[in-house]
Amino acid sequence: MAVEGEEEKTKSFKLLGILDIQNTPCAREAVLHGSAASILVGLGHFLATSRVKRSFDFGVGGFMLTTLGSWFYCRYNNAKLRMQQKLIKDGLKNKVMYEGTSLDPTRKQNSSQGGGS
Amino acid sequence: MAHPSQLGFQDAASPVMEELLHFHDHTLMIVFLISTLVLYIIVAMVSTKLTNKYVLDSQEIEIVWTVLPAVILILIALPSLRILYLMDEINDPHLTIKAMGHQWYWSYEYTDYEDLGFDSYMIPTQDLSPGQFRLLETDHRMVVPMESPIRVLVSAEDVLHSWAVPALGIKMDAVPGRLNQTAFITSRPGVYYGQCSEICGRNHSFMPIVVEAVPLEHFENWSSLMLEES
Repeated sequence: MAVEGEEEKTKSFKLLGILDIQNTPCAREAVLHGSAASILVGLGHFLATSRVKRSFDFGVGGFMLTTLGSWFYCRYNNAKLRMQQKLIKDGLKNKVMYEGTSLDPTRKQNSSQGGGS
Repeated sequence: MAHPSQLGFQDAASPVMEELLHFHDHTLMIVFLISTLVLYIIVAMVSTKLTNKYVLDSQEIEIVWTVLPAVILILIALPSLRILYLMDEINDPHLTIKAMGHQWYWSYEYTDYEDLGFDSYMIPTQDLSPGQFRLLETDHRMVVPMESPIRVLVSAEDVLHSWAVPALGIKMDAVPGRLNQTAFITSRPGVYYGQCSEICGRNHSFMPIVVEAVPLEHFENWSSLMLEES
């Protein structure tokens, strides 16, 4: 198992030698979105203005903004998911530990619903 | 644990280390984008045919290259400060362990309930069993219950040492005459290795730290056995 894990990590592809696309969550998605946006924006600008260098500038700008935007959006959603997973995990643990006792979280919910009706 | 020719962090075994990994990814993406921009600017500058010897100032570019770095620094600083304060939280630990640095071994004291203390020496290479790790294994491990907040009080008896376990995201200097406090929770059972991280003499590289996180019943059995042995 350890050898397979090491092989997976040695196969990792690092952009500019620093950013591990394969093992960093959201990195691959962000770079792909950025690349697509840079091609669209650069090409679109060139078709509209026929200015090559300025189109490259717009392409790079589009790449950076889109990569950043996609990265933050994906990381924010990931963070939300992780918090939800943690809450579910803690809830399951509490349910298993306190089932049948006065601290049972489902018993508290049921008694509050029964009191209301 | 660490593997040969590893460049990145070890897998996180505590919530704090997970946060540090996420922060590292966040910062690395910013670094990657800045590097891409700089590389592009270098290529553009080298390949341009335009030369203007009479440009003296430009308000727009000055504003851009002042405001943009400030914004980038804020984007990095906010999560960084969040983790800094998160690492300082000590939420009602279940157990307190004293880790004392000596030349050249660590000693651990579990004095909450009974008087349990032991030394932790590195196992020499010639005494290793097959499958054990060179320069990392110790004769006695610091055993802790998993998923429980543990407080570690770090100090030293002679010279400066440093108690570090990368997988848990912990590094705390061991200063003679001073008690430093750190805390951790292990997310999963396992064995986590670290090494002394402050130069302390000829055998500085040969006083490793091994933390073993086990279920509570195993921890109770282990502590009973250790008390009987002592």
